[in-house]
Amino acid sequence: MSVAQLESEEIQLEATSGLWSDAWRRLIRNPAAIIGFVLVALFVFTALFAGVIAPYDPREQNLDLLEGSCCPGPSADHWFGVDDLGRDVFSRVVYGARFSLLIGVVSVTVGVTFGLLLGAMSGFFGGKTDTLVMRFMDIMLSIPGLLMAIGIAAMLGPGLLSIMIAIGVVNIPIFARLLRGSVLGQKGNDFVLAARAVGVPRRTILFSHILPNSISPLIVAATLALATAIIDAAGLGFLGLGPQDPSTPEWGTMLTGTVRYLQTAPFLAIIPGLAIVISVLGFNLIGDGLREALDPKLRGRT
Amino acid sequence: MLRFVVRRLMLLLPILIGLSILVFLWVRALPGDPAAALLGERATEESIAQVREQYGLDRPVYIQYLAYMRLVLRGDLGTSIKSRRPITEEISRRFPATVELAGAAMLFAVVVGIPLGFFSAKRHGGVFDNASLVGSLLGISIPIFFLALILKWLFAVELGLFPTIGRQSAEISIDHPTNFYVLDGIIALDPVATSDAIWHLVLPAIALGSIPLAIIARITRAAVLDVQNEDYVRTARAKGLASSIVDRRHVFRNAMLPVVTIIGLQAGLLLSGAILTETVFAIPGMGSWLAEAIEARDYPVLQGGILFVAIIFVLVNLVVDVSYALVDPRVRLS
Repeated sequence: MSVAQLESEEIQLEATSGLWSDAWRRLIRNPAAIIGFVLVALFVFTALFAGVIAPYDPREQNLDLLEGSCCPGPSADHWFGVDDLGRDVFSRVVYGARFSLLIGVVSVTVGVTFGLLLGAMSGFFGGKTDTLVMRFMDIMLSIPGLLMAIGIAAMLGPGLLSIMIAIGVVNIPIFARLLRGSVLGQKGNDFVLAARAVGVPRRTILFSHILPNSISPLIVAATLALATAIIDAAGLGFLGLGPQDPSTPEWGTMLTGTVRYLQTAPFLAIIPGLAIVISVLGFNLIGDGLREALDPKLRGRT
Repeated sequence: MLRFVVRRLMLLLPILIGLSILVFLWVRALPGDPAAALLGERATEESIAQVREQYGLDRPVYIQYLAYMRLVLRGDLGTSIKSRRPITEEISRRFPATVELAGAAMLFAVVVGIPLGFFSAKRHGGVFDNASLVGSLLGISIPIFFLALILKWLFAVELGLFPTIGRQSAEISIDHPTNFYVLDGIIALDPVATSDAIWHLVLPAIALGSIPLAIIARITRAAVLDVQNEDYVRTARAKGLASSIVDRRHVFRNAMLPVVTIIGLQAGLLLSGAILTETVFAIPGMGSWLAEAIEARDYPVLQGGILFVAIIFVLVNLVVDVSYALVDPRVRLS
């Protein structure tokens, strides 16, 4: 066996562990990320099976339970107590997971889709397109995020869809900048120059050479954006821009009225708040874990 | 240096013009007629038409915009439809409240966050490091308004240690020449009023400062860890410099560069968070004002308020950029 053959076999052996399997191996050895997965799994499970888990109808009022005082705390019948209209808080929190998950996923999808499109265009074509798109992104970024979300939600009228669009739009410039930077970084790489040299069309270069290589920072950012989206959605709900029907069990909306009952029934604020913290923490832990796992500087180390 | 600043200022111009158009169009796109909102349920067709004419709402949009910009450039942001007071006057009372709150929050975040990050990095991997990592992760995972509610419940309602709402107690009556209540107390040489104002700031500042605190601690930790492995730090240690001097002169100073940037970038976050914090603690600042204006469809307030906030935000970012260029000689100014 010649030396050349030996060497090529060694290289083959190393190359079998790709970026993703490598990252996955690092991710499942990271205890923080595992906790994140557990929390997110709990959150998603609750959202999907809310109808099975919740013992009561989240909108059903039962004023008899109040007995003139607000509000009866946790008991065997009502694990997390009853709110000021006699609704079961546990059932409301469980159904609330649905809304938060929906808002989070839809708004991040909106942000990623448009951000990806604008950022990739801007980075790839450069010139006037780049200037125009990025100036517009700068203008959007010059309005503090929540203020802009409030503005958009107010313009569209309060409601679930408005919240999703508002948070999604606020996310667009963040992803656009990320993608643009990433595409610009890739453009000068040898494999892109090589593809251009052999005459691969520009679109193919963008979609099959540049974008796949920009995907890992995008995944990290999207996971962290999910966490922020859940917090922002709750914030908009808290400010009264949430679902128009106030009986909708949305976590932020649930917190709105609780200021009045802080003294007599603090659990009304604590329970939906903790639900938000747990789900957000889950996405943040996964996001951090992914960032470390996908970091090319750490590749090869396990 | 001067050329750099001027260039950056020139770049701001298109952003500010675009911003003013965007805000102007946005306000027009809001549902509901402000004239109707102003007059309430008893409005007649005629009175609505009269108000629309009075505020120029019946003219074409671009003329309204140009007329508005002419006033803005003269420093006139218009009059609130609801309170009927000039918006600039309202801003001069409310903006200091928000700046005071944001400043206190930032102070809390910096004073706690930087040492936290620094000692975490020094004891990298230890119990303290892990505890502060978990803590800062929790910090960015708690919604500001939830933390505000919890702090209010625990320390104001249950323990009665702090006031629950507002900027000063009812029995305090001093002049407010600056509208920064802490400063006003000092100017009036009134220790009771000063401490009262500070007391009102504590809980809102902690709530608002929690996220910047977590971010600053994380960035400081990462920066110190990075710098610690640099050649010049190893050289400094190898030549026998006392470790406290190496920490202070070589590690800390260089690690502060990214931290300074991050501190500047928190301005938008603080303004966003102020909207929620001010709502929970009933602080009459910019945030609670804009939130109320949306509900009342107070067009001029929304337009003027948001434009003002955005201009401040853009200028803060400029100052951050410039100061960064000043601190870090590696940043090329061209």
